[in-house]
Amino acid sequence: METLDFDLIVLGSGIAGMTAAIHATNAANGGIKIAIVTKLHAMRSHSVSAEGGISGVLYPGEADDSINLHAYDTIKGSDYLADQDAVEILVKNAPKEIEFFDHIGVSWNRDDVGRIQQRAFGGMSIPRTAFAQDRTGFFMMRALYDELTQMKNVFVFHENFAYSLLIERGRFKGIFVLDLATRAIRLFRAKACIIASGGASRVYDFTTTAHSSTGDGIALAYKAGLPLKDMEFVQFHPTALIPSGILITEAARGEGGYLLNKDGKRFMEDYAKSKMELAPRDIVSRAIITEIDRKRGFKDEESGLGYIQLDLRHLGRKLIDERLPMIRDMSIKTLDVDPVKEPLPVRPAAHFTMGGIHTDIEGRVMIDEKKSAVQGLWAAGECGCVSVHGSNRLGSNSLSQCSVWGRITGLAAAAYVDSLGGAPLDKVSADTCKREELKITNLLDSDGSVNPYDVKAAMQKTMGELVYVYRTLNGLRGAKKIIGELKKKFKDIYIKDKGAVYNTNLRDALEIDNLLELADAIVSCAINRKESRGAHALVEYPKRDDTNWLKHTIVYKTHGGVGISYLPVKITKWKPEPRVY
Amino acid sequence: MRESWVALLTLYVPMVGVPILLFAYMISLVLSLDWASTPLLYLSMIGLLVFGISGLRDVYIAGWHGKAIVLKTAYAEKTTVPIGGPLLEKPGVKFVRFNVKRFNPGTQMLDEHVYDVETDRFTTVLDGLLRVKSTKDPTLSMRYSCRMGICGSCGMVVNGKPSLACETNVWDNAKNDELEVSPMLGHPLLKDLVTDFDDFFERHVLVNPYLFRNDLREKYHPVKEYPQSKEQLHEYLPFSYCIMCGLCLDACPVVNMNPEFIGPQALSQAYRYYADSRDEKGAERLKGVDILKGVWDCEFAGSCSEVCPKGVDPAFAIQLLKTDIIKNDLRPSSGRANVEERK
Repeated sequence: METLDFDLIVLGSGIAGMTAAIHATNAANGGIKIAIVTKLHAMRSHSVSAEGGISGVLYPGEADDSINLHAYDTIKGSDYLADQDAVEILVKNAPKEIEFFDHIGVSWNRDDVGRIQQRAFGGMSIPRTAFAQDRTGFFMMRALYDELTQMKNVFVFHENFAYSLLIERGRFKGIFVLDLATRAIRLFRAKACIIASGGASRVYDFTTTAHSSTGDGIALAYKAGLPLKDMEFVQFHPTALIPSGILITEAARGEGGYLLNKDGKRFMEDYAKSKMELAPRDIVSRAIITEIDRKRGFKDEESGLGYIQLDLRHLGRKLIDERLPMIRDMSIKTLDVDPVKEPLPVRPAAHFTMGGIHTDIEGRVMIDEKKSAVQGLWAAGECGCVSVHGSNRLGSNSLSQCSVWGRITGLAAAAYVDSLGGAPLDKVSADTCKREELKITNLLDSDGSVNPYDVKAAMQKTMGELVYVYRTLNGLRGAKKIIGELKKKFKDIYIKDKGAVYNTNLRDALEIDNLLELADAIVSCAINRKESRGAHALVEYPKRDDTNWLKHTIVYKTHGGVGISYLPVKITKWKPEPRVY
Repeated sequence: MRESWVALLTLYVPMVGVPILLFAYMISLVLSLDWASTPLLYLSMIGLLVFGISGLRDVYIAGWHGKAIVLKTAYAEKTTVPIGGPLLEKPGVKFVRFNVKRFNPGTQMLDEHVYDVETDRFTTVLDGLLRVKSTKDPTLSMRYSCRMGICGSCGMVVNGKPSLACETNVWDNAKNDELEVSPMLGHPLLKDLVTDFDDFFERHVLVNPYLFRNDLREKYHPVKEYPQSKEQLHEYLPFSYCIMCGLCLDACPVVNMNPEFIGPQALSQAYRYYADSRDEKGAERLKGVDILKGVWDCEFAGSCSEVCPKGVDPAFAIQLLKTDIIKNDLRPSSGRANVEERK
C-alpha cells in the first residue's frame, strides 16, 4: 500500500477546512506540509451552497449592537444548550473573520459609503449578517480556494475518499483513503489532522444539502470509537422549495418576505408575535408544520407534499436582483416560478447537523466525556460540536463558526506540529494496512441480493417521516427498529460496478454505510431526551425541562449498539430563561 | 517583436486581407477593368498573401498541438423499441429516453446506452441520471453534488450543448421524448460522463487567481475592512460568478484546436482580479496574459459566454483585457487606470 507522509492532514475542503489550511500555513511561514483530502473537487464542497451570509458585529455601537448582544441572541436561539464560553469566542472573533474574507477577495455587498453591508436574520435582534448577494458561501469558497493556489506547501487531493481513521493509544496516526479516479488505496500519515468534512443532512431525503453531505467525517470518528455530541438536534430549514428541497435563504425573510397560509394570512403572528418571520428556524419550522397539519397549508398534488407560501413580490424586482439573484434564478430554472411575480412553495427540510464530533472549546476531538483529548486530532465546522449552536443554530452563525474554528484549529494544529519538531511519524503495522485494504476489497466483492440504493431510500423515508420537525416516542422507537433492520440488510448488498476507474457505486456504498451509523445515533439520542428543546420537539414532552435536561448528549458506538451519557452545559453570564419571541 | 503585435498581424490581418481581395474584385467587375493591366492585380495579390499567412499559422498550430480530438465511437444500433416501461398511471409522469454516451476506460471508446426514465415536469437531467443509477444501472458514473447550480460538478453535454445537468430540465429539452447526454469531449475522459479536470485547474492557476496585497499583517490579523464603492464592486462582480464547471473550456473552439491557449475560464479570472479595486498587482497582471497563448489567441468565437451557466461572459472579459493591454502599451500606467477611466 502506498504511504504518503505529511505534517498535517485537513480532511474536507469546505470553508472550515480551507481556512484551517491557510492559517496553519501562515503560522508556520509555509514550513508545514499539508494535505487537503476531499472526496469532491476542493472548490465544490457543500459550503458553496451557503446563501444568506455570515454573522458578526462589524460596527459595534451602531444601532446599539454589541458583541454581548450577539452572544445573547445566539444563546437564546440555542434554547440555552450552547456552551456559553464557546459562544463568547465565536462572537468575539467573527468580525475579524469577515474582514479576513474581505482581504482575500469576497465580493461583499456594499452600502453607499463603501462599507460591508449587513442584513437582518432570524433570531438576531439587529441586522448583523454580512452578505455577498445570496451566494455568500460560494464567494467565500472561491476566495479560499484561490488563496490556496499560491501556497506551495498545500497539496490538494481531489476526489480522495477517506474511509477510515487510525487512532492508536489516544494518538492520531493517519487515515486510509480511496482514490476515486483509480481505486488505489493509500495510507496518509501525519502528525496532526483536522476533520472538517461537514454535516450529515443526507440521512433525510427532503434536504437542502448537497448529495455529498453524508457526514463521512462524523461517521469516521464514530466508527473509530470517538464520542459524538447532541446528535438528536437536526436543524430543519423552514423554507426549502418543493419538490426539490433547494434552499431558499432565510435572507428572503430577512429582506422582508412574508410566510402566508392558505387564507393569505401571515400566520407567524400566532407563533412569534414580535419577530414574525424572523423567529429562529426551529420555531418557524414548527409553525409551518402546524399550519399544514391543521389544513391551513397548501397541498402539491403531484408530490403529495403540504406546503405554505413564501411571498417576495412586494420586495420588488430591483431588490431581489441585487440581493437575492440566485434564488430567483434557481426558482425559475427548476420550478418555472418567478418570485418577482409569484409566491414560492416551501416547507421545512433537513439543513444542518447541530451535533457532531465531541470537541472541547479549541476544537480538539475528545476521547470521552471527561477532559482527555485525542492527541493531534481536531474537528472544525459542521462536523464538530463545540458547541455554539446548542439545540438550534441561528442563521448565518454557521459561516462564522466555520471560519472562527477553522482558524483556531489551523493555528493549534500548526503549533502542535511545531512542538513535535522533527520526530518521525509513527509506524503503521502491515496487519493494519491489510485489514483496511480488505474493507474495500470485501465491499467491492459484495454479491448479495440487496440494492444499496433501496436501503438508502428506505432510511431517508423513515427519517423524514418519523424523525422530522415533530417527533413522537412511538415514532422514534419505530424508526430505531427500522434503521436496525436496514443496517442488517445492508450487510447483504451487491456492488454491480467492479471497475477501477471512478467507481461511484463503491463510493455510494461507503457513504450509505456512514449514513446508517449516523441515522442510528440520531434516533437513539432523540429517544432518550424526554423534553422539547430547540430543534428537538417531542410531542409527549412539549416543555423544556432545565432541571433534568440542561445537558449535552454524548453518544458512543458500542459492540451491541449505542451507549449514551451526558455532559453539563457551560453557563457563564446568561441564566436560562423562558424563550419567547 | 511583442507578442501582441505578432498576434495582431497573424490573427487580425485576415480580417483585412479578405476585404482587400473582395474590394479589388468588385472594383474590377464594376469598372470592367482588365486585371492584368491595373494595380488591382497587385492589390489582390497582397490580399491573398496576407490571408495565406494567417491560414498557415492556424494550420501550423493545429498540426503542432492539436491532438486528434475525434474519438472512435461504437454506437449501439439505434433501438427501435418504443419508449416506455410498465404502464404509468400517475398523471403528469412519462417516460423519456436518455441516450447516454458513456466513455469506457477499458476500450477508450464511447458506448451508447439507452435508458427509459420516469420523469415529471420538474425532473432535471441529473435527477434522471441518478434515477438510472439507483434503479437501473449502478455502474453509471457522473459527477454531481449540490444539485442547485453552484458547485460546478455536473457539467456535461445535453443534446449537443455543454450544460449543467442539475439546471437542465428534461421535458424542456427532450425532443420527441428523447434526450442525448454525453461527456464534455473537450476535457480528457475518465469514465462514462466523468472527465479529468487536472488540466483545467492548472490553467486556472496560471493567471495568479488571488487577491494580491502587500500588507500581510493586516491580511491575517485584520483590524479594518478595505472600503469598496458599489461602482468598484460592479467592475469585477459579474466575473466573480465563475463556478469552475469547465463548460466554457469545453465549448471553446480555439482551445480544442490549440491546447496551449490558456482558455476562457482562466482569462476571465485574470480580469476578475485585475478589475478588483482591492488588488495591488495592478497593470502587472496584464503582462501575464499579454502573450500569444494568453488573450491574443482568443478569436472571439463567443461560445464560452454562450454556454456559461452563470452569465460570466468570459469572451467579454478577454476583450476588456485586450483593450487595457493596448491602452497600456500606448500610454503606460502602473495601476488600473484603464478600468477607472472607462467609467
